[in-house]
Order: sequence, then structure tokens, then C-alpha cells
Amino acid sequence: MELTTSGVATLRRDRDQAAGDAEAADAALAASGDGRAFERLYRVHVARIHSLARRMIDSDAADDVTQDVFIRAWTKLGTFRGEAAFGTWLYRLAMNVILARRTTLGSERGRYDDSEGALETAARPGAAPELSMDLEEAMSRLPDGARQVFVLHDLEGYKHEEIAEMLGIVPGTSKSQLHHARMALRQHLE
Amino acid sequence: MSDAWTERLSEYIDRILPEGECVALEAHLEACASCRATLDELRRVVARARALDDRPPATDLWPGIATGIGLAPGAHPVVSLVQRRARRRFAFTVPELAAAAIALAILSGGAAWLVLRGSKAVPVATTATPAPMPMLVNAGAPGTNARYAAAVADLERALEQGRGRLDTATVRVIEKNLSIIDRAIREAQSALAADPGNAYLNLHLAEQMRRKLELLRRANALAGARS
Repeated sequence: MELTTSGVATLRRDRDQAAGDAEAADAALAASGDGRAFERLYRVHVARIHSLARRMIDSDAADDVTQDVFIRAWTKLGTFRGEAAFGTWLYRLAMNVILARRTTLGSERGRYDDSEGALETAARPGAAPELSMDLEEAMSRLPDGARQVFVLHDLEGYKHEEIAEMLGIVPGTSKSQLHHARMALRQHLE
Repeated sequence: MSDAWTERLSEYIDRILPEGECVALEAHLEACASCRATLDELRRVVARARALDDRPPATDLWPGIATGIGLAPGAHPVVSLVQRRARRRFAFTVPELAAAAIALAILSGGAAWLVLRGSKAVPVATTATPAPMPMLVNAGAPGTNARYAAAVADLERALEQGRGRLDTATVRVIEKNLSIIDRAIREAQSALAADPGNAYLNLHLAEQMRRKLELLRRANALAGARS
């Protein structure tokens, strides 16, 4: 039997609905203390959370932040009411943890070096082609402020006004940081 | 290439450039091959970023999480380094904390008093007392905050009186470092206001407060040694 386009769409919707239902069930089980259900939730979402932590902070801290997020999620599961998808709830929790960690790391480092010179040198590709970095590696070498704005805007889809509020900057700074990050990263295009 | 227009290319891509400027930029693009090339490259960066896949961690973090939430056999409830540190430092009893905080305040006040008297006996050893550590665990407690503020005020007064004995460069370094620490304290307090239960932030705030106290003590010891 050949499926029509609308038939494929219906199957996908049903599959997504089924996945959502299974996740909601796992969240409820986990909230009642079922570790296996929580592990299933971890397996589904760990890549998303770890990637967010790695890109927003750095790869050294990403493991620790990811652990913190899931441990915190376990302790807060009682507050998950199922009004949004579990993934959305977890993502918000992760973002709060990451932003709080970012604040303290920023203080520990004294200040962010977001000068244009830092932007140019941070994302400069290697002289030899074989040393060229992929986009993730290039992003990791951007100064903190520019990298975080780039991640929040171009990867996570936030608006400048939202980013400004999250990072404690003005929207104009967010626009400027984003542009300079993109300008630095374009050197890595093949 | 027009630098002025190059700076606006990202806003153009994101469709947030005001309409009038949009028209002017498009007219400029007609004539400027360099800006057209840059625009194309920026669009490719955006497309590449949007196409990035999420990657799992290199090592499976589940065993650590399972241990941390008490699911593994013989597990301790917390596993992350940050929380482990926090838990270790929270492992004082309330009487121990109160006693340590009072002892610290007395020691700080004593050091300040010695400096105020111009004594050369303000010893660096005083700064090496193990007492400050409990300060780390109860930074948010109102009683401790009051004692901490009093100790800092004492030391700041002492330093103000002794700063004439320090050379300008030293004073500049001290003031710069105090400014950095004060900023860190403000940021930690601000973050804690949004997330009061965050053990890591509590720990970080306490650490910055301890750093400030330590810096003031050292500065006073230095001023005392030069009197």
C-alpha cells in the first residue's frame, strides 16, 4: 500500500504523540521514584542538554553541568505538571542552571575578553587546511560573550531582547556580538 | 567594501533592519561585490549553525547521576564535584557554625584593633587561622552576614588608616582586586536571588566573601609591617 503525503504526516503525528505520551508516563514514573524511567528520560535528552552546556560554557564544565541538571531534575520532578513537554521543562531547567553557572564562571575569570582582536584571533583557522576546525570547534574558541549570544540566537532561536535579559546586556550589544561572532566564524567555511 | 554596511549585514539577514535602511542596503549590495560575498558567507554560517546536531557526552554520565540521586547500590546522594564540595562544607552543625563565625569575627576585630594601634605585631600568621572556612558554609545566614559585615568594616577602617604606609602601586592593586571581588559578590548575590537553593552559588558567594576578608587582612598585615 502506498501512503499519501497526508498519510505520512498522520503517521508521524501519531508517532510523535506516542513518544510524548511515553515520555509523560516516564516522567510520572520517575517522579514516583522509578529510576529506570528516569534513565530513559536521561537517554533521550542527554545529547541536547550536554550540547547546550558545552556550547554555552565549555567542554570541560559540560559533564559536570549536565550531571547537575539531571540531579536537579530528579529532585524537582514533583513540580513537573505535564503542562509542557518534559523536554521543554528540562530545557528551561538546564538553561537556568547554565546561566547561573555562566555568571559565576564569568566572575571567576575576572572579565570576558570580547574585544575585536580576541574575536579575530579566537576563531582564526589553522594555516594548513588539515588543521581547519569544524564549526563547533571554532565556536568554542570565540570569546564567552560572543559565543553565548551566537548560540542563543543562531542555534537556540532566541531574540536579541530575550538574550539581553538572559545575559544582562543591552539588545544592541547582543546584535553587535552576534555579528562579530558570525564574521569570525565565516573564516571556517569550506 | 563599505564598513558601515558590513556591520548591518547580520541585521539584514535576520530581517530586523529598519525598512528604510533595508532599501538602502539592497541598493548598496547591487554595486558592492565584496558586501555581497560577505552576505553570502554570513548566510552560510547561519545555515551551518542551524544544521548542527546535538552530540552526547564522550562518556556516559548516567552512572554518576545514578550514584548522585541514590539509585546505585551504596550510592551517596550527591555526585557532582560542585555538589560534593557543597555537601562537604554543609556538614557542620549549627552550633559549630555559630561558634566558628563568632571566633572569626573576634579574630578579625582583634587584627583590626592591632593595626589601628599601629602595632607591628599584626602577624601574617593571624591570617592563616583555620577559622574562615566555616564562613564558606553559611554565607547566606543573616547572623553571619552581620558578623561578616562588621569584620569587613573593621578591616576596611584599619586599612584606611594604614594605607598611607603602603606605596601607590600596592594600593592600586589592592583596590583593583577588591573591586573585582565586590563585583563577583554582587553577581553571586544577584544569581542567588533568582535561584536561592543553588548550592554552587551559595558556595561561590561564600568563597568570594572569604576572599575579600583574606585580602583585607593581608593588606592590613602589610600596612602594619611597614609602620
